[in-house]
Order: sequence, then structure tokens, then C-alpha cells
Amino acid sequence: MTQVIDRRSVLAALSLLAAGGPVTLAASAARARVGRTTMRHVTGGSINTLDPTMLGSTRESFGLSMSVYDRLMTFGRKPLADGMWTFDPETLRGELAERCEVSDDQCTITLHLRPDAVWHDGTPVTAEDIKWSLDRCVQGHSLAVPQFTSGSMTSPDQFRIVGEHMIQITLPKPDRLAVANLAMPYAIMINSRLARRYATHDDPWAQQWLQHNTAAGGAYRVDSFRPGINVSLTRNDAWKSTADGSRPFFEHVISQTVPEATARASLVERGDADIAIDLQAYDIIAMAMRKRVKISSIVQSNCFTHLAFDTQRAPFDNVLVRRAIAAALPYDDMFAACLFGRGQPLYGARWHDVAPDISFPQSLPLATDLPRARALMAEAGYPQGFETTFSYTTSQTTTAEPMAALVQEALGKIGIKVRIDKLPDATFNTMQAKRELPFYTDTGAGWIERTYYFFYLYFTRDQRWNFSNWRNMRMVSLIEKARFEIDEAAYEQDCRDMISLLIDQVPLVMLWQPKMDAVSSSDMEGFTYQYYRQVDFRTLSRA
Amino acid sequence: MISRAGATRIGLRIVAAVPALLGVILFAFIMMRVLPGDPAVYFASGPNAGQAEIDALRHKMGLDQSMPLQFLHYLEGLVRGDLGNSLVTGQTVTQDMRERLPASLELTLTALMFSLVISLPLGVLAAWWAGSMWDQWVRAFCSLCFCVPPFVSGILLVYLFYYMFGLAPDPTGRINIFTPLPHRVTGMLLIDFALAGDWAGWRQAAEQLILPATTMALFVIAPLTRMTRAAMLSVVNSDFIRTARAMGLPTWRIVIVYSLRNALMPVLTTIGIVFSTMMGANVLVEKIFSWPGVASYALDALVASDYAAVQGFILLMAFLFVMVNLVIDLLLSVLDPRVTVE
Repeated sequence: MTQVIDRRSVLAALSLLAAGGPVTLAASAARARVGRTTMRHVTGGSINTLDPTMLGSTRESFGLSMSVYDRLMTFGRKPLADGMWTFDPETLRGELAERCEVSDDQCTITLHLRPDAVWHDGTPVTAEDIKWSLDRCVQGHSLAVPQFTSGSMTSPDQFRIVGEHMIQITLPKPDRLAVANLAMPYAIMINSRLARRYATHDDPWAQQWLQHNTAAGGAYRVDSFRPGINVSLTRNDAWKSTADGSRPFFEHVISQTVPEATARASLVERGDADIAIDLQAYDIIAMAMRKRVKISSIVQSNCFTHLAFDTQRAPFDNVLVRRAIAAALPYDDMFAACLFGRGQPLYGARWHDVAPDISFPQSLPLATDLPRARALMAEAGYPQGFETTFSYTTSQTTTAEPMAALVQEALGKIGIKVRIDKLPDATFNTMQAKRELPFYTDTGAGWIERTYYFFYLYFTRDQRWNFSNWRNMRMVSLIEKARFEIDEAAYEQDCRDMISLLIDQVPLVMLWQPKMDAVSSSDMEGFTYQYYRQVDFRTLSRA
Repeated sequence: MISRAGATRIGLRIVAAVPALLGVILFAFIMMRVLPGDPAVYFASGPNAGQAEIDALRHKMGLDQSMPLQFLHYLEGLVRGDLGNSLVTGQTVTQDMRERLPASLELTLTALMFSLVISLPLGVLAAWWAGSMWDQWVRAFCSLCFCVPPFVSGILLVYLFYYMFGLAPDPTGRINIFTPLPHRVTGMLLIDFALAGDWAGWRQAAEQLILPATTMALFVIAPLTRMTRAAMLSVVNSDFIRTARAMGLPTWRIVIVYSLRNALMPVLTTIGIVFSTMMGANVLVEKIFSWPGVASYALDALVASDYAAVQGFILLMAFLFVMVNLVIDLLLSVLDPRVTVE
């Protein structure tokens, strides 16, 4: 059939097209620019609760709670080069407490509250509130309970009101982590009179209500909270818990979930958002070249990326095999390929057997030595090698993928055939907890940067954070001794022994500490790396 | 239009969907538990959280009960309209869906509208002048749209219109964060702003919609155009059109009134399928534009093995699918009286 193209049909066709023609982008550039005292933070994660102690709370929720709730104590911060800061694990100062006294036998901690402190609703902070908040940390089902046991605080009987603004904590033994535990994200101090109104028989600690509401007294109030979407905060001008009594710079803070990393990068680079800490390494490198934003790169001093073995199952129960792998890994190549060199190596130290100091994580004497690796494999009874699986999570793909390839290649040289298995996060976590992963990579971050605590958390006990399921009696006795050791010299010796034991037994191979890259508008100042690895809104300001 | 008998038939259709929905519920329930990944382990993962916390969480979620018992509890909740609690957001799944479904619907409907206003004229054009240069151009355009996946076109659009030229607002969800939200009636911002008479807000919400809706629309232009073209071709070659032309009726009347109406049946069916697919499959678009919709919610929940949330999403999608098909069938019976809703 032939069609006649006449004037009418063309007009008809054109009008049809015009009716639905390409949609013109009428969007005006009328963008509400962020004001000077307003900060917009974008993150890929989501805040799922206002109560950080809730089982299942996300890391972003911990970060938010630091600005909303006060704790009794807080870690100080120390300056680094170029106007950057990092938390100071050695300094603990009062936050809601004015000062803290520890008795000579280190079993009694007396906390003096700020007499003029008030909650967000204007009512004064009382010793009863603090007692209730501390009791909440040791009772009920929350993440605070196991955290507080690491400071030997397990029962409400240990917390006593001894004066109008005084609280006393008694410990059964001189636990060296008790005071530090009071500064942890979980140790929130709650306006108990407000929270109690929402407590029920089944929920005596108002956990349900506090998930979506606050009874706080920290630097910021929550204006609106939409889980997984955004949170907006307003400064609490009555807050005086900084070291020098000054107020935070920003009046308003908006923390918004933007899942796509590229979108977050564009937002900061165009000046529509002020800060983001979870961008992709390649975006950051490109942004560094364009120089439109400020990039604060700070080594995460309480983190370590590692390769873990299942030390309870063959072949990794054989220390010779573990040593052989540690000697076969191409550390420098891995560091360059995975992190583009942006971090602090934990390998390649020059000392032998005894560490020069007791800091941890520190660089260990790990180096590539293929002939030695081959000899160790032969000695272990595996001259022909064996087969194993190396796993990592999808969320760590950018760093773990090149790592897996390099590990596969390097171990191939000593006869070990490695199959690579990339797992969804939930699957990986479950298998990790059930000890079903023979060989994998992961990253640990200890909140209390004390050598003893790292070994306690990551190298003992039958629990998920003992990454390599290591059961070494000598390590267990060292830790039990170090925990309650008052004599500093003896404690240091214990820590040295722990590090030596780690190097000798290689339950896992320490690789490096990644850097945190905070990308912010160029006028942003005061970025502080915090041990909980989130943005601390209180420390930031605009030039 | 709908007689009493018709209403009864519609009611029966909905009742007939119940077994299918039950099947979906059971399938989703079992699937989540068969897949490796334990939500309790995933969520009790703070430093220092050990087996005791994992067990406590498992108890709180009811995962320490036997599977049939868990299923009964789940069904019992469903009857009360309780889809369970999401661990990712810490809210009830019902509440999450109530907040997020309108966002997804608004985006999908806008995208569908965009794609229809482009693909219907293009399809008609291509069929009317089948084999011409126009037809070839339309075909090339469709191929191009279809072969660019949404995450590429989405990022490209953001890069061009937001990052390079600054024409579009930032890709962070449905509305500028500083704009007060209208009183919630439907949850769809365009409608709620219009009801509130806040036209500045309406304009903002519309601006936020343009890029994500275009991204989604581009991907479905091809099937809709091709389907329109094919349906139109068979109609314009039929006897009654030839008669109409012979009688000297104006071309626009032949095209729009006689051809298009008759060609719309298969197109409408395709629209139904496309719509349902878009609702579930627009996760990438939602992620790129930080759109707080149900698809990105379901993906996050799946990664975290958040049972209740994933089950709720699957159930919602199945329900929507049933409803969309019903609406499409009703529309078909309007278009062609020979078709009835059975």
C-alpha cells in the first residue's frame, strides 16, 4: 500500500509529534544554595535509629548519636599536618562529666557532673538521669551490654549516686578500659525523666521509643528524622561540653543518604553538599587533580586490613603453612593496586622478634621471600601445595578484587591453587560467624586504641571478631593478665609478648591501614578522624 | 460503564488472585530463609557483639522458632496488615512501604507518560510511512534507547544536566531538602503540592522528576514504539481503513480515530507489562537519583538479608501486578466492547 504525503498528513504528524515531543528541560538552576552556617553531609549509608545501642544500628547511626547525645567522657583530638585532626586515644576528658577521679587501687571511679548542664528540653541533668542511663547500658538487650563488659561493668549495683552531681562506679578489679568505655558511642546519657514516660512493662528502657525520638542533651537536636533518607539537626546553644566551652560552628546540619558514590562526588564538587567521607578511590584521585574541593586524607590509626585463615582447620591449622603464605604475598604490589598507596603499611618493618614499642596496630616484620615460602611449604608437608578458597564481600570489591587476583597469582607460585569467591555482605558475615570461610580478607576497627583491647577483641574467645578463630592458650593468659595489670612496665612487657606471639604464629596477616578521605568544600576546616569512622559535625567550621 | 454484573466479576477476579498471592507469600518466605545470610549475624555486627547478641536478635525477630511456626506468625501479622519490622530502617515494613510506594509510583507513572508521548507518535509515524526514511530513523532511535542501560543513561544525564550545565537540580531525591513538604494526601508530591496550591513546591518536585523519569522512559520507548508500529501496520492495511480512505475521510481522522483506537489493544497490554517491570526494575534509577522508592529499599534489604522487608516488597509487587492487569483489562473492555472482564 502506498501512502500519499500531502500537506494535511504532514501537519497531522507534526502536531502529534509536538504534543509529545522531547520534553524540554525546564529545570531552573534555582538551587537553594547551602547557607554559610548550614552544612550538608552526604553519605552512602543510612541512619536507621536514633538510639545507637539498638541491635542492628548502622555505623552512620553511631556517628549521628555522637552529635546528639553526650557521654560522660570523650576522647580528645590532636592536630596533624595541613589543618587536619585525628582523635587522641591517650587523652580522655570529661564531656557531660566535668572531671573524673580514679582511686589509687583503680577500682573506684568518681565522676563529677557539670553543675549547669541541661537536657534539650531545658531540664537540668541530674545524678538520677546518669544512674538510669548507666543502668541501661548494662541491662536489657542492647549493644551497650557487651561493650560495657569489656570495662568490667556488668551490674547496676556498680553505679551509685554519691552526691547531687556525683556518680561513683565501683569495679571488681582495676580494669584498664573502664573509663574509656564511658566515652564509647553506646554510652549515651539520657534524659531519664522524659524517656521513662515511654517505658513500658515489656520495654523498661524505652528502647522502642528512643529509636525514633531523642531524650538527649548533646550538641545538636534532631529536627526531623526519616530513616534511610535524611536527618536534619539544629545546634543546641545551651551545650557547653567542648574542651573550651565554645559552640559548634554550624547552626544546621543535614545528613542525607545518597546511595550512588558518583552522585555524592558530583554534589560535593559542585558545592551543593559540604562533606562526604565514603567516595570511590578513583573519584577522589580525579577530584584531587581538578582541585575544586578539599581532600583531607587521614590514616585510620585504629583500623587494619588483613588476610585471615581458619586456624582450626587443615591446612591452615599448620603454622608452617601460615608462615609460608605470609612469606609469599607480594605486599608492595597489593598495597599499590588496592589502595593506590593511600594508607599506612602494616608490613615491611625491620625489627625481629621484639617490637620497638607497644603500639598496635603497628608495622610488622612481614616481607616477600619466595624461596623461604617454598621451603616452608615443603617442611609443612605440602610440597605440591593444595587448593583453597579466598573470599571477600561485594561491598569491598574495589580494594579486594585486585587483592584477590594478586593473592591468587602469588600463591600459585608456591603451589596453592586459590579459587576466588565474592559473596554478598550478609552471606559473608554469616559464613564468617559460622567459621565456614577458610581464607578471606576483611577490615577490623577497634574503638579503643589500646594494644590489650585489640588482642582481646580480635585474637581471643569464640566470637565473630576473632577473625581467624585463633585459640592460643598463651595469648589468652597474656590478655587476662594485661587486663587487670596496674604496673605499667609489666603491662608493656605483656603487650610486647602479644605482638611477638602474633608474629611467630601468624594467625592472620596484617596488611595495612586504609586512609579516610574526607572530601569537602574548600572552605571547610577542622575535619577530625574519629575512631568510629564517621563525620564529627561538632568539630567542623567554615573559613 | 461497569454494570452490577461487571462489579461482581471484578470482585471475583480479585478473589481469584488470592491463591496466587498466597503462593507468592509462601515462595518469598521460603526463598529468604533458604538463601544464605543470617540477618541476626549481619545486624548484630557492632564491635564486641557476640553470640549472645546474635541470639537475642534472633529471638526478637522470632527466628528461633521453627519455620512453619514462623510462617504462621507472619500470616497472622499479614491479616492484621502488619508486614513485620525492617531492620535496615528500624520501622515497620508497612510504614516504609507507605512512605516509599508513592515515590516509586509517581516516578514510574511520570516515566510511563513521558515514554508514551514519545513512543505513540513515533510508532504511528513509523507505521504510516512504513519502510520510509522516517521509519528507519525511528528504528535507529529505538535501538539506541534500548541498548543504553539505565545506569549509563542516568549517570550521563546527571553528568550533563547537573554537573556540566547546572540545568537540573541535584540528584538527591524527590524534593530539595530545604523545601517544606505539603500536607500528605496521596504521598505523590505533584498531586499533594497541587492540592495544597503550592505551585513553587510543585515546580521543584517536577524539576526533580524530569531526569529520573527521562532515564526510565528512554529504556521503555523501544518496546512501546515497536509495539505501536506493529499494531498500527496491521490496522492501516485492513479493509475498513481502505474504505475510509476511499470515502475521502481526513487523514488525521483515519489515523487517530479509526487506526489508533483499533491498534491500542496490544499496546495497552504491553503498557501493563512495561509498567509492572518498571516498578520492580527501576532500582538502578532510584539508586542514581537517591530516589526513596521501594526498589532501592528492596535491594538494600536483600543485601542485608532483611527478611520482612524483602517479603513485603515481593508481596507488594505481586499485588500491584494483579491490580495493574485488572485495570488494563477494564480499559481494554472500554476500548473494545467485545472484550469483557471475566
